[in-house]
Amino acid sequence: MSRCWIALTSTPPPDATAVAAITWAGRAESSAGDVDDGFLAAWEAKDEPVTGAIKIDPRAIDPDGAAAWASLVLAPRSAWLLFDDVAVSHAIRAVLAAPPVDVVSTFVTGDDRFVGAITAVHDDDPTRLRDDPFAAIFPATLVRVGPGLLGTTPAPVGPVIQRYGGANPWPWDRFGEQRRAHG
Amino acid sequence: MVNAELAPGRRFPDLCLPDHVGNERRLSDLAGGDPLLLHFYRGWWCPKEQAYFRKLVRLQDEAEVAYSRFVSVSVDPPGVAAAFRAGLGARWTFLSDEGRTWVHELGLLETTDRTHEPYVPTVFVLEPSLCIHAVFNGYWFWGRPTNEELRQAFRQITRSIRPDWEVPGP
Repeated sequence: MSRCWIALTSTPPPDATAVAAITWAGRAESSAGDVDDGFLAAWEAKDEPVTGAIKIDPRAIDPDGAAAWASLVLAPRSAWLLFDDVAVSHAIRAVLAAPPVDVVSTFVTGDDRFVGAITAVHDDDPTRLRDDPFAAIFPATLVRVGPGLLGTTPAPVGPVIQRYGGANPWPWDRFGEQRRAHG
Repeated sequence: MVNAELAPGRRFPDLCLPDHVGNERRLSDLAGGDPLLLHFYRGWWCPKEQAYFRKLVRLQDEAEVAYSRFVSVSVDPPGVAAAFRAGLGARWTFLSDEGRTWVHELGLLETTDRTHEPYVPTVFVLEPSLCIHAVFNGYWFWGRPTNEELRQAFRQITRSIRPDWEVPGP
């Protein structure tokens, strides 16, 4: 079964499905991240394409996507929460209640580990990302993502907060194989 | 029923309308692969709708873990629907038929209200294919489904569409 993976890299991986340069615009004080300006790359692959890659809703990825501002929430190294943790459920409820953004996906490793999320808008106004509900769980960083990576995730219908299959990220909303909306 | 064509066993039209933030949404996409509660309501101003929405908001706490989706439709503009939705604490999609395109197409115009020209309050429970499983005429408040009736409908549809309803063996 094909899945979609994403990872921070220092150079553009030649085998990536989509890749974009990222510029870090602000780092949360509590962030344990250690990646400077670099690249965010995505792969469609059955298995983890590079060490440290994490699963993302495939609809968030579009090689023809425009540049975007993104709130990137990443768990500190070796940290994670069970996806069914009440903090994750609460953040997802907050996403459903708020005005939709252009891109939203949780990040998952293994079958059941929540390790962060991406929330992004394609316009030039990143202020909409200030209230990212996932930022209450792990450190959030505002990044400028270049063109060629992020598409548009359909606004979740609601009220479902569960994943469609244990190993899948929310808001992917179908049982069965994941495919990107584009390509 | 106002429109006898919209009866159990028939397929509901795959309507396309802007959601509460103005994005065009198609019903079949909103249903995805899940059972769908399709709820037509008069508008934010109606006390009966306010009371009924409070019931649905309570039900969403179960639906959110049960792979069952809700969509509410009215003639309110998207901005009004968004404000109403936020005030209710509803976490599902609201559609706006402000132009009253589908209210006529579906035959669900409440002709007795010439001030608002709203939808007749009507609740459908649809299968993922948009086949109508159940319909409730809510012109009178007691015609609307209770949450227990909705649970029963969701259970029947879920049982029919999930091949692993019976627990898979070892």
